[in-house]
Amino acid sequence: MSLFSRFMDGWRKYRKPGYYDEFDYHWTMTIDLDKCTGCEACVTACQAENNIPVVGEDEMAKGREMQWIRIERYWEGEYPNAKLSFIPMMCQHCDAAPCETVCPVGATYHNQDGLNAQIYNRCIGTRACAVYCPYEVRYFNYYDHEWDSPLEQQLNPDVTVRGKGVMEKCTFCIQRIRQAKDVAKDDDRRRVQDGEMQPACVQTCPTKALVFGDRKDHESQVYKSMNDPRNYRVLDELNTDSSVFYLKKVDA
Amino acid sequence: MPNIDRREFLKLVGAGGVSVGAGFMLREANKDPREYLIPHVLAPEDFSSGLDTFYNSVCSMCPAGCGISVRTREGRAKKIEGNPAHPVSQGRLCTLGQAGLQALYNPDRLTAPMRRTGEGESASFEEITWEQGLKQVGDRLDLLRAARRGNRVAFLTQGVRGHLAQLFESFMRQLGSPRLLHYDFDHPHTLYAANQQFFGESRLPYYDLANTRLLLSFGADYLNNWISPVHHSLGFGESRQGRADVRGRFVQIEPRMSISGAAADEWIPAKPGTEGILALGLAHHIVAEGNYNGADLGAWTNALADYTPDAVAEQTGVPVNTITRLADSFVDTTPSLAIGGGAAGNHSNGVDTLVAVNALNYLVGNIGQEGGLVLNPEPAGPAVQQHRASYSAMVELAEAARQGEIDILIISGTNPVFTLPPAAEFAEALAQIPLVVSLSSFLDETTALADVILPSHTYLESWGDDFPEPGVGFSVGAVSQPVVSPLYNTRGTGDIILDLARRMGSSSVMPWQNMEEFLKYGWRRIYQRGDSQTLAQGFDAFWTSVLKAGAWGETTNGSTAFTLNPDVIAGIGVAPPEFSGSEEDYPFILHPYLSPNFHDGRGANLPWMQELPDPMTSVVYGSWVEVNPVTAEEMGLSEGDLVDIQSPHGQLRVPVFVYPAIMPNVIAIPIGQGHGEYGRYAKGRGVNPIEILSPLLEPITGNLASSATRVNLTPTGGRVKLVKTGGVSRDLGRDIVQHTSLGVEVSSAADNSIPITEVTT
Repeated sequence: MSLFSRFMDGWRKYRKPGYYDEFDYHWTMTIDLDKCTGCEACVTACQAENNIPVVGEDEMAKGREMQWIRIERYWEGEYPNAKLSFIPMMCQHCDAAPCETVCPVGATYHNQDGLNAQIYNRCIGTRACAVYCPYEVRYFNYYDHEWDSPLEQQLNPDVTVRGKGVMEKCTFCIQRIRQAKDVAKDDDRRRVQDGEMQPACVQTCPTKALVFGDRKDHESQVYKSMNDPRNYRVLDELNTDSSVFYLKKVDA
Repeated sequence: MPNIDRREFLKLVGAGGVSVGAGFMLREANKDPREYLIPHVLAPEDFSSGLDTFYNSVCSMCPAGCGISVRTREGRAKKIEGNPAHPVSQGRLCTLGQAGLQALYNPDRLTAPMRRTGEGESASFEEITWEQGLKQVGDRLDLLRAARRGNRVAFLTQGVRGHLAQLFESFMRQLGSPRLLHYDFDHPHTLYAANQQFFGESRLPYYDLANTRLLLSFGADYLNNWISPVHHSLGFGESRQGRADVRGRFVQIEPRMSISGAAADEWIPAKPGTEGILALGLAHHIVAEGNYNGADLGAWTNALADYTPDAVAEQTGVPVNTITRLADSFVDTTPSLAIGGGAAGNHSNGVDTLVAVNALNYLVGNIGQEGGLVLNPEPAGPAVQQHRASYSAMVELAEAARQGEIDILIISGTNPVFTLPPAAEFAEALAQIPLVVSLSSFLDETTALADVILPSHTYLESWGDDFPEPGVGFSVGAVSQPVVSPLYNTRGTGDIILDLARRMGSSSVMPWQNMEEFLKYGWRRIYQRGDSQTLAQGFDAFWTSVLKAGAWGETTNGSTAFTLNPDVIAGIGVAPPEFSGSEEDYPFILHPYLSPNFHDGRGANLPWMQELPDPMTSVVYGSWVEVNPVTAEEMGLSEGDLVDIQSPHGQLRVPVFVYPAIMPNVIAIPIGQGHGEYGRYAKGRGVNPIEILSPLLEPITGNLASSATRVNLTPTGGRVKLVKTGGVSRDLGRDIVQHTSLGVEVSSAADNSIPITEVTT
């Protein structure tokens, strides 16, 4: 390798943080805002799947809620022409994620599937990532949260229960992705098929507004959906290169 | 003990110490020196997580009857998903259904049978055995039955369908008591009555949202709490963006914007209780414009003569051009569909309103059409409609109790002390009944007043079945099976009833040992309806296949042919709604609505639901009253100001939430909070608007006109901080939720697309 190409290689890696030149899979989500009704089924599904603690009223009042996916609401106009739009917001799994560059201990990093992953036992709780995140989707454990017995029996054994001082956020249900990949590997080392796994929020969405899949598979539902003419990315001007595509709400 | 001297002892200890040390060093030396910092994000190669087992069952968190698939691991329920094979939920589930796990693992569940001791203030519950509890109840039942006084027993249950309902019915028949009441606060009595009047059958049709192109919803919050929200949501998504060339349009008519109103393309506030008048205004315009050509045109013209757009605009507050525009597009867009319910049905003119909505469907020919309203066949399960108890039936029960006509009241799964207005004096009536038996899983307000508590399993631990009403155009059923073994010393509701039946000597008529056996008996009849192929495989194979699939369906179509009884047309007309209290003293109309999180209050003991922001306001953990921004400004109110809300029948103190989409003379409070009992998460939070409702009735059904209470609003000067997750509720130019219009979208597709970053090596 020539000096020049090594330099260019280094430069590209510097410009595109993350450790992978090519992802194995490129997990992507699309959210059709014309279908989203704001019912919040996704929120509860996520709480159940990912062992997200109930923080209590006092902590909620301090703005310390824990919801990896939340519904944001925006009013427009005044009565009687008031309109309300909902938008589900979760970690956008940016391919140029501001949170990854700021972490002093590398607790948040980009994995081989294009996911923005959080290593809980490496996190020292500086909360810098939460400051850098333009989507405000990182949640911090201010306490060791407890589950009133026997609620802990519901906890998902595939997901770590996070302790005090640790930052956490949406993982695109990485435990389900891992399981699907394991199954696919055992099954003659094939690739994970479209629709084989879905994160909890996508699985439960009553209007099918959420679609999830591998964008490298050009036959996948998510690839078609992200190329819908209505697509856009939230705060795209920040060049975060996010992996969540929204489909514009239609005014009719 | 061998004889060891001190020297010997020290030698042994020393040798032991050395060998322990050597073993430790050996082990350490052979260990892999690497330590992994990343435990499960990159799980070790040989890490094998346990195996999941999925059980299909039926959700019981609301009356929709969605099929569920519960993921269990090592005997514990971990996650509830929708069952993809079930025609109602199709693999999807709502937020309350997801939270069913917290009902199962709720820390405040009743763990064993209990009996009340002491009176008044000193009353408390002591734990007893099942034998003691069942004997106490069974002996008295037997005594009453033997004395032919079984009609002094009343049975009050939540609305159940399927074979549990049949079991209750045979149990009460054995006693010879007609007092079997299925009570739910939100049961759409007026809708059933309207369908009885219009279609001649007292059941719900299938609303084909998925294939419709225009939906007019008169007050029905179909995406949230109305009848079958998950199935409606599926239809909504399909209608909106599931078809290649058509996008369904949705119009919502209601005084306060609900979730369905927010999802709609157009939200039209109409004065509360005038939704039916508006529907007839549309009908008038359709007929007057010559868009209806049926043989009964003359009758319709006569019936609708008074409902000219001008008169209707005057009464409803909806502009004339909106009325004519809606009517025209309802005719021009086919298929179209009008639905009505929710608050629109909970007025003194509720039945007439919903008949008017049916008429609208009839005039444009939506009945029996794809994308319209499809009449359902007779459900495969037992008929339960005759037992549905309206508000007036509950008042009658309370009155009978006060007259000393009831010796035993058995209550299962319903919480009338919370969901009936105090005017019904239900709690006082309970005190007059010598033996009140509760089969609840939780210590709710009603159970707290019981004499004996025989706690039931939650739905995830018990056998049952359900035949969703409405079906999906054909008969659907599903068996609910236990997904985990019972956590506590509780029993299935069906098992308790069968045990009591044995104790009162009814085992010859009700010979089944347990609910599972009874279910199999009942499903044998459904099996016998099957085709030759089903019959050939035998009942056991059929039963296993139903359990495994979690759903059963019979795709014989219902009678789609429909002829309207001409008498109905002459009777069409909607009187102006009545309200309690005068407009001078009580200038606001109270609009109580079912909370998306708590339904009729049953979800309030689930911590996830308490912590789930209300979709419209993002408030958590409390109650609030929604006030129009202009009204709030006039009264000098802002968010968090405590106000007293007074109706002719009670008073509440609650903080204000300034709500942009509510009529100026309407205020809204969600139902669900304000529990006095019901566990640590529910107790003592917020207010219950049912407490101040006036007992105004819809005359045909005896349904409570729960949206017809007038109130006044007095600032107290007090202030609290509303706990909510939402910050700024306006976009402020950040362009977070982007919009596009239908026409522009296609032409600008090219510049609108985002280049997809392909990472190259």
